[in-house]
Amino acid sequence: MARRVSELLSYLGIVSLCICLLVSLAQIKIFYLKSNVNYINYFNLSLIQFVSCLLSFLILIYIFITSDFNFSLVYQNSHTEKPMIYKLSGSWGNHEGSLLMWILILTIFNFMFALMSKVNIRLTETTVGVQSFLILGFLLFLLFTSNPFSLLSESPNEGLGLNPILQDPFLAIHPPILYLGYVGFSLIFSLAIAGLLLNNIDKNWASIAKKWTLSAWVLLTAGIGLGSYWAYNELGWGGYWFWDPVENASLMPWLAGTALIHCVSILEKRNTLQSWTVLLSILTFALSLIGTFLVRSGILNSVHAFASDPSRGLFILAFLLIVLIASLFIFARKGPFLDKEIKYHLLSRETGILVNNWLFLTVLFIVFLGTVYPIFTDIVLNENITVGPKYYIFSITPIIFLFIFAMIITPFLNWSTNNYKILIQKIYKPTLLSVMLIFSISLYFDKLSITEISLLILSSILIMANLNSNILFKNNSFYLTSNIGRALTHAGFALLIISIIANASYAKEKITQAKVDDKIIVGNYDFIFSSISQEKEKNYHKIIANFEMQQHSGTLKKLSPEIRFYNNPPTITSETSIARMLFRDIYIVMNVPENQEFINVRIHIKPFMNFIWVSILMMMIGGLFSISYRIKNS
Amino acid sequence: MREPVKQRIIKLLIGASIIFVAVLIIIFNLRDNLIYFYSPTDLVEINLNNNQEIRVGGLVADNSLKYEENSSIYRFVITDEKNIINVEYRGILPNLFAENKGVVVEGIYSGANNIIANKVLAKHDENYMPPEVIDALQKEGKWQGE
Repeated sequence: MARRVSELLSYLGIVSLCICLLVSLAQIKIFYLKSNVNYINYFNLSLIQFVSCLLSFLILIYIFITSDFNFSLVYQNSHTEKPMIYKLSGSWGNHEGSLLMWILILTIFNFMFALMSKVNIRLTETTVGVQSFLILGFLLFLLFTSNPFSLLSESPNEGLGLNPILQDPFLAIHPPILYLGYVGFSLIFSLAIAGLLLNNIDKNWASIAKKWTLSAWVLLTAGIGLGSYWAYNELGWGGYWFWDPVENASLMPWLAGTALIHCVSILEKRNTLQSWTVLLSILTFALSLIGTFLVRSGILNSVHAFASDPSRGLFILAFLLIVLIASLFIFARKGPFLDKEIKYHLLSRETGILVNNWLFLTVLFIVFLGTVYPIFTDIVLNENITVGPKYYIFSITPIIFLFIFAMIITPFLNWSTNNYKILIQKIYKPTLLSVMLIFSISLYFDKLSITEISLLILSSILIMANLNSNILFKNNSFYLTSNIGRALTHAGFALLIISIIANASYAKEKITQAKVDDKIIVGNYDFIFSSISQEKEKNYHKIIANFEMQQHSGTLKKLSPEIRFYNNPPTITSETSIARMLFRDIYIVMNVPENQEFINVRIHIKPFMNFIWVSILMMMIGGLFSISYRIKNS
Repeated sequence: MREPVKQRIIKLLIGASIIFVAVLIIIFNLRDNLIYFYSPTDLVEINLNNNQEIRVGGLVADNSLKYEENSSIYRFVITDEKNIINVEYRGILPNLFAENKGVVVEGIYSGANNIIANKVLAKHDENYMPPEVIDALQKEGKWQGE
């Protein structure tokens, strides 16, 4: 009986995907035939695409929740003893499921776009057509190479389980958010190609594109932030960013996407830089695809290495090439004729934003080179190398200077004309205040280098100038200007730089062994190893070491790092224990060596960790402010 | 509307030279920060400068793991079943670190077949073998996996 249900579900899942495939074909046909279609047509079709994908995704979730081991995917990635949330996240924690989710998100954006932009029907319809081409490509990939609904010939009683390192609440929601960001940029890509095909890249195009770019950007920022938060909590190395290829894979579309947001602004306000905007849109989505390819193909050797399959990587690579060649071909034919040249003063906002774009591209080049070069040497020269984090730090730090400098000045410049007087008037107070503030701070904290001090000063100016001119105090109440979104994002970036510097310069670390009742001293804190105990949980048992953190002999907090021994699959993980205080995190990891009477402990004191997360949140909230302002005014 | 040709050429030249210098700086910086991977046999065959940052991978040799309590230093031997290298590491060994299992260490080559490791990487999956280690073992014909 149960077997029949599974067969039915499998059938239903595949059929709904096939419906989506056929409808996508129909959507593509619409923009080929250029017949007199009306709004209802493509809107209804995009609704069917979305609903059929959703149905198949819900089936996937259902079979994971009910642990239906007739499905080979569930068998390989789940286990009855797993907590419910990880059964759920297990459904997209694997290749097939994540691909289905990717397609679902493609259709969501497709549907949302058809729903929300009714102004320029021709443009919307063509965009939906291009987007359907992407949906089609991924659907073919899913159906032919990675069917999530394939059944096993005999149904096993128990599944193989999910890698315990992936059993973390943040990792459960991280891929969906990250994908929303990646795939969000697919819509900008489709919009750009549609605009090219229709010779319709102008101010109106830009104001549509800006909203969607901002949305994708906020989601991608959230995705990267969550990934970093997970790595910090779960990997137990005390770091939050490792310049690891998988992390870089998500950073690259972010860099291109951020450049795109700025460049779309010029297009929207000044109706110039058409071809550059289109090129950046293509680049951003291509980098999202490259990111997926790098992560899913197993070509990377990463701390986050997932089980992966080279042949699938090959498909993504082929698809990437088709998308790139086709879009560059269209671009070469149409792009150069789009540009409208305008004149602007050298000290104008246009220059500032162009400088910003160049800086973003430089950072992108640095990250790209560092990520791809080891792959190149491995394949071509058969040399196995890794790029050390110092490469990124040394190459990017000087650019951060220029970035912050441009970010301080540009928002106070006028479009097209020079008005340096207003600029000086706006920033001289924040500058004086910041210089005094940072100098007095640096007298107290003597470890800071000249580079760090000057970066701190610039960041501080950026924060003050932004907040000062965008949060106004009049008639006993606060007003936010319409630029508050940008101000918050930029201030968030400055806060991020400040936090990174403080974190790197004042981190303390101690590695030692400890027996019960030992006292470990790190910085101003004493850690008493009070006891060790064992507990059994649903799908693992754990050893817990209990520490009391004391300062001036008063207990502040209790910390209890764990070692977990998972049953399915048999794996050992270390769980960190973190005491989060306003200005610093205390971070303890331990492990238990065999045949020894002590445990190994590593204690980190990490200043300003909270501010790193807050600054990422600020950037996202800034983005949300900008989006809501745009929706209100349209 | 178009600017004079001369002005455009000058702009282009300035732009190109800035890009050229930037790329040059980045590439030199990359070259200085590359960490090469070697198997123990590679290290015997080539003459490596001391104090160079490298990665070494192979199997942790049987009965080689020692712990010095007073200095909290771990010592173990990485082998590719042909040659060996001695590792010195001050830190916490990963949970899946074990003798006869694959490992990759990153650290400073200190000559005479010694490496002072600052990172010991053993992956989170019990069955996972770092690709470099598989390569190193395959070269010596000692790989027994698929």
